[in-house]
Amino acid sequence: MSVTVRIPTPLRPVTAGQAEVKMDGATVGDVLRKMDAQFQGFGERVLEDDKKNVKRFINVFVNEDSIRDKKDLDTELKPGDTISILPSIAGGF
Amino acid sequence: MIKIPSSILREIYDHMESAYPHECCGLMIGTSSGSERVVHAFRKCRNLNTERAHDRYEMDPLCMLKAQQEFASGPWDIVGIYHSHPDHPSRASQTDTDRGFAGYSYVIVSVQKGKVASAQSWDLVETPEKKFHEEPLVIVDVAEGDRK
Repeated sequence: MSVTVRIPTPLRPVTAGQAEVKMDGATVGDVLRKMDAQFQGFGERVLEDDKKNVKRFINVFVNEDSIRDKKDLDTELKPGDTISILPSIAGGF
Repeated sequence: MIKIPSSILREIYDHMESAYPHECCGLMIGTSSGSERVVHAFRKCRNLNTERAHDRYEMDPLCMLKAQQEFASGPWDIVGIYHSHPDHPSRASQTDTDRGFAGYSYVIVSVQKGKVASAQSWDLVETPEKKFHEEPLVIVDVAEGDRK
């Protein structure tokens, strides 16, 4: 099934500048691991070393829902879903 | 370089002064070409760090999601992040560096005793080491019709 993956600016150097890509996959993990296979450097920026979890300072949404409130990388997808990958923005002094 | 219309910068300053003594944060929306970013709109975001709001911010991720959705089909994109440093200089800190992402302009504003005192923009470079470099912050005047 085809879903849309939205890429934030900081990750676009590894997706050849693409802001959106279409991918197939039954779960978020399927899609992100395919992204890792297709785009060199994608996985090391988004996934933990074991590729079983998303990095702590990266947020992933399926449509309006954070995957951390669902089944993380095992979150199931429907055709037409949009996966948004977003940096977790924080700071201070 | 980041170019910000004076009217937008004034509204961002208003956000920061009203949030004082807490840090506030938001997104700058616009276009980018090479190292030049031009701001056309902004969105205020919630600071989810309530325990240390005087010296930390954590942007509500839903704010970034909404902005990404709102501007996905047009020519504008998220080009930068702004946040305030209450009673502290407008330089990028180690915490800002640790949690920063390359590809955005980071506008940091010092708010002293409730009033904006200085503003600087920073660009993060990740190699050979993760480090913020100051970039020019250029204030421009544009017609209201160019804003969204």
